[in-house]
Amino acid sequence: MHLAITSVPVQNWGELYDQDEALKTGTVFKDLDLPFFAAEQVPAAASSVMESLKSPEEKEFSEKMLEIQKISFVMDDLRLYLDTHPDEQEALTMLKDILKRRKQVMSEFASRFYPLTMDCMAELYEREPSSACYCWQKGAAPWEGVYC
Amino acid sequence: MWIYEKRLQYPVRITKTCPKTAQLIISQYGGPDGELSASMRYLSQRYTMPLKTVGGLLTDIGTEELAHMEMICAMVYQLTKNLTVEQAKEAGFDAYYIDHTTGIWPQAASAMPFTAKEFQSKGDAVTDLTENLAAEQKARTVYDNLLRMITDPEVREPLKFLRAREIVHFQRFGEALEKTKEKLDEKNYYFFNPEFDKKMMR
Repeated sequence: MHLAITSVPVQNWGELYDQDEALKTGTVFKDLDLPFFAAEQVPAAASSVMESLKSPEEKEFSEKMLEIQKISFVMDDLRLYLDTHPDEQEALTMLKDILKRRKQVMSEFASRFYPLTMDCMAELYEREPSSACYCWQKGAAPWEGVYC
Repeated sequence: MWIYEKRLQYPVRITKTCPKTAQLIISQYGGPDGELSASMRYLSQRYTMPLKTVGGLLTDIGTEELAHMEMICAMVYQLTKNLTVEQAKEAGFDAYYIDHTTGIWPQAASAMPFTAKEFQSKGDAVTDLTENLAAEQKARTVYDNLLRMITDPEVREPLKFLRAREIVHFQRFGEALEKTKEKLDEKNYYFFNPEFDKKMMR
């Protein structure tokens, strides 16, 4: 221990949340889940969002989008962990798996709804050369909070 | 280089118009401890970081903060998109309305405009990483305060997510500081500036 400087203990690889719980909590690491008491006093939103969706297409869209958000969030949190723990093999193995799954769901989303990135567009055009689908012309903007 | 992905990091779907809430959470867009400030802080500091890995961490966290900024803006937008002039008057949102209608503009809850005066890039790795630890705590306090005041669960869920991220980022900056310390003079961490006196690093 040294005087006159901050010390933060380095995190050890530990128990993880599954991807559903991770996105809900804001971290995949159980040890870093440190909620605020006043945040727990109001009951969390019921699953009203899913229930309020009308058409099967809206439901499917919102499920697929949520799956992308969950997988991508685990990727985001693992990436920061690896930035400070580059030699953690378990984290790296998990990241490799997540990246593979992410690529797959992103490409399924592009075929079914629309591409989310330029790279998804490239892949889509490779699969379907006659596709006229461009990023911004289909679907609402992400900040609209609506589905399809 | 950055690549945009057409989605939010965490879903935001607010169905009830509430200009009062918008006026409070806009602070996390353009306020002193907001996400815009956070992103610009990390993306400015990274160039002169002596450790490549710490520069990488600043890039990744600075990028995630852009996604948080987008979430906050989406919340402000959804809280005000069906706003009537009467609602704006009742909620005290009328002054903002006069200047910006319902456009999204970076300001604090107190209406102070976004300014670079509120964050630092000091050119000293120990100083900057210590600043970042404090910055993450300040942002967490803002989210705590918002969670005490706001009752709509559709607004609270994304706020809880954003609060949790501040704690994770604090941990990572702490670990980055530990990595930086390993390269310094262990008898006196302040013997030289690791960004300016790079040759003196271990």
